[in-house]
Amino acid sequence: MSEFLGYERDDGSVGIRNHVAIISTAPYANDTVKRAAEITENTVPITHPLGRCQTKPDVFQTYRTLLGYGTHPNVYGTVVVAHAGEIVDGDELASDVAETGRPSASINIHEEKGVMNALQATVNAAQEMVLDASDQRRVPADYSNLTFGINCATSDTTSGLCQHKATAKAVWRLIDDHGGRGVFAETAEFFGGEHELAERAVNDDVKQEVLDRVEHWDQRLKDTGYDVRGAQPTPDNMDGGLTTIEEKSLGALVKSGNGPIQDIVDYGAKIPGDSGMYIMDTPGHGAESVTGIGAGGAHFMVISTGQGHTLSNAIMPTIKITGNPNSRERVPEETDVDVSEALVGDEDYDWAADQLWDNLTRIVDGKLTMSEALGESQFAIHRIGPST
Amino acid sequence: MVEPEDNVATALREIEAGETLEVAVGDSTVTVEALADVEFGHKIALEEIPAGETIVKYGKSIGNATEDIDAGAWVHVHNVESNYGRGDLAADEAEAEA
Repeated sequence: MSEFLGYERDDGSVGIRNHVAIISTAPYANDTVKRAAEITENTVPITHPLGRCQTKPDVFQTYRTLLGYGTHPNVYGTVVVAHAGEIVDGDELASDVAETGRPSASINIHEEKGVMNALQATVNAAQEMVLDASDQRRVPADYSNLTFGINCATSDTTSGLCQHKATAKAVWRLIDDHGGRGVFAETAEFFGGEHELAERAVNDDVKQEVLDRVEHWDQRLKDTGYDVRGAQPTPDNMDGGLTTIEEKSLGALVKSGNGPIQDIVDYGAKIPGDSGMYIMDTPGHGAESVTGIGAGGAHFMVISTGQGHTLSNAIMPTIKITGNPNSRERVPEETDVDVSEALVGDEDYDWAADQLWDNLTRIVDGKLTMSEALGESQFAIHRIGPST
Repeated sequence: MVEPEDNVATALREIEAGETLEVAVGDSTVTVEALADVEFGHKIALEEIPAGETIVKYGKSIGNATEDIDAGAWVHVHNVESNYGRGDLAADEAEAEA
């Protein structure tokens, strides 16, 4: 078994980064979180417009997602900042983070009697965690600890023909050769390929669940009363030659390979510990699906892009791979791995998978991704229903 | 990389109208003359596809032809429609029933 260098956690997980997260529970704490992260080096601000005036399914989903980040393997410790009493409760979130053995702190703007006091308290807590985190060393750990996230971004017709094949080979290398886990998502992009995908389920319950969740997404789209085209495929997908959501989906599914599917989990839920491939039920919206997979605890994510993309996540390093020879020119500072020689040159997909594997093993050991070096990150929790 | 059942192929370079293309389909070769310029990554019809027929790529349906498509024609959103996410059709049906 191969080993990587990671950060051991009290809950048994091993991280590939050692971040201190500062998490907002509601829009009214976002500014305090952003300011505290600007003051305190090596912290990651997590802000969003949710956590208040939401229906219960959304409350559970928001909480689950934020907790997923607060307890992510790549997170050393977490400071939670709340505005006042909220339905997504800051004290409860900090307490659930502490259950995993991580340092945690809960700051409440009303209880601190104002934003300046809350900012001071947040910076104090974050600074202490950052100092302690910087004192922790990487140690050898088995590759079986790792969860490999995969997502598409601005797909074009090269995606299913080239880079997704390399991504599939790499994720199955982690699962089959090292006993790790893989997770892919974007249920709304299984259209047209759902029956073949469902056949890969390890049992009939999972098979039916995959079909039911795809049907649910088609129904949600039908309920809008409009043709989904323009939203899916997106205008940039269509520029790249993708004509229908089915064509996009059949290409998108190539990145998951052909192996068995262990289970399909809710948006933002923790990926189970057993080795194998999992699905997370998310929309095709990249920022939302990547945010969900990050909450699920994926250590890193390979973003397999056609036209090039800035999609990234501050907690879970995102490695961008493309097989479109024009994309490196379009977004050169976002392309970690270019395997277009496998599509238009003399190389094959095994070569492409080796390029990706070599890059990701170095990133696991601490090398920064292109988007980490630029400080790029988006955070968008998928919402289910209306605000109230 | 074209499946034997496919009736479209993907351009891996810019194609100009009038070019004669030889496309490997399964074990045989299909020859078509491009009727239009086709950009990198876009699709070209390998055979005549009547309106309403299935467009097949990866050996699977990617939608239906909305008009008669000639062999060698550019195949994209102007002559193909999806069978998923069709809230517009669902709304039309609901209106017809009402």
